[in-house]
Amino acid sequence: MASSYLSFEQVTKTFGTVSVVSESSLSIERNSLVVFLGPSGCGKTTLMRMAGGLDTPTTGTIRLEGVAVTKPDRRRGMVFQSYSSFPWLTVEGNIAFGMRYRHDLTAAEGAERVRHYLRLIGLEDFAKSYPNRISGGMRQRVAIARSLAAGSDVLLMDEPFGALDALTRERLQVELRQIQAEEAKTIIFVTHDVEEAVFLADRIILFSARPARILRDIDVAAALGPVRNLDIRESEDFFKLRNEVLHLIRNESTNEH
Amino acid sequence: MAGGLFTFRGKSTAQAEITISVIAAAAVVLGWEAVAQAGLIQPQFLPAPSRVVSALWGMITGQSLLWHAGISTMRVWSAFLLAAVMAIPIGILMSSYRIIGAALEPIIDFIRYLPVPALVPLSIIWFGVGEETKIFLLWLGTFFQLVLLVADDMRRVPHEYVEIAFTLGAKPRQVLTDVALRAMGPTLVDNLRITLGWCWTYLVIAEIVAADSGLGFVIWSARRYVKTPEVMAGVVVIGLIGLVTDQLLRVLHRRMFKYV
Repeated sequence: MASSYLSFEQVTKTFGTVSVVSESSLSIERNSLVVFLGPSGCGKTTLMRMAGGLDTPTTGTIRLEGVAVTKPDRRRGMVFQSYSSFPWLTVEGNIAFGMRYRHDLTAAEGAERVRHYLRLIGLEDFAKSYPNRISGGMRQRVAIARSLAAGSDVLLMDEPFGALDALTRERLQVELRQIQAEEAKTIIFVTHDVEEAVFLADRIILFSARPARILRDIDVAAALGPVRNLDIRESEDFFKLRNEVLHLIRNESTNEH
Repeated sequence: MAGGLFTFRGKSTAQAEITISVIAAAAVVLGWEAVAQAGLIQPQFLPAPSRVVSALWGMITGQSLLWHAGISTMRVWSAFLLAAVMAIPIGILMSSYRIIGAALEPIIDFIRYLPVPALVPLSIIWFGVGEETKIFLLWLGTFFQLVLLVADDMRRVPHEYVEIAFTLGAKPRQVLTDVALRAMGPTLVDNLRITLGWCWTYLVIAEIVAADSGLGFVIWSARRYVKTPEVMAGVVVIGLIGLVTDQLLRVLHRRMFKYV
């Protein structure tokens, strides 16, 4: 356990008298994309938020490289579904936002970082646009770039593509895998969409209904490999795995009710 | 011109809307003139607009009406700025720190419901009949309303923005200045514009009871001699100042918050 990158050690969370997360232990490898999959409102988001330092575990500890997470900082960035970009700043201004707190960088280095991430998400032409002038998919790209530019090693993504249309969503899923590979980042991605989970994940952690309990730990990388493109979506392996996961979820819900 | 003007939730152009506004205003004035000229109502109660305009001119040249208007505007703005300078930080603190909110909300809510005219006697006892009383009454009428509006604006800043800022390395103070203040900007300026309008309401009350200058005083003196055209001219000046200020602030709002 000591050697793991991001670890959840017997973490629980109760709000008042309501148990939201029952004891969960999990360790996540560096540079992997782990999907938290489970029914809406099951507590998977709370578990992820605790990794960000935005909620505090009732018991247990979360560690990043051995150091306990107690409050949010720029090493662990958040991407939300809505209100993801600051409307009063341009695309460029949003990506540059974290630079004002990076006193270790010179102005030139900061500007170079902003340019790099603007290029990475392919929005150079929209650098001076405000978020209300760009599409929802672009706004989510901006949120990702802003976190990475600030210096996040871990991206915590809370159903970030949930409000997008199907085509945009597919494109962003492919792009997210590319970005993750290029930038060598660790990602926790929360969703209740099985296809999205299987397509994106190196590993799926399947959660029960509330209070969230880890039901299964599914190794997707072993089945689908590291490279994900749209062809994979139509492959036999993809369908097999997707159906397997769907069955697991169905069995779980019939067991419980 | 745009056919959308007649459609439910239809669209129109700025030009079409200005034209209609002007026509409607002109129609009201012309209708009023016609009713007054026809002698349907005694001029003592409803003088013709042309009479009001000539009274207005007479007051500008003979009674330094513009000076009175200037005094009133000064009073409104000093009280308003005083209220804003106090209400913005206090309102923000009230919704940012529960201890401050819990302590102040009941007190402010209580005072907010006290009608300003009821506090005029107390204000005169405290401050006499000088400028302080007027400023105090205007401040009283706006500060307690504004502080709750500001607290509400602050509360409505999406929590996501605050959390994102923390995960981008901001400290609480920086979240306040770099995110919360920016996010609440448009609604804050809107609320300031609305509160400034209330200031004018209380101004007339303050100037009627305790003043020898200002538009409220002018209106009240004219009433004493039943100079209805002059009373109306005074009211019209307040309306015009309100209209111009409001439009200027709207333009400012559009320029400051182009991204909305």
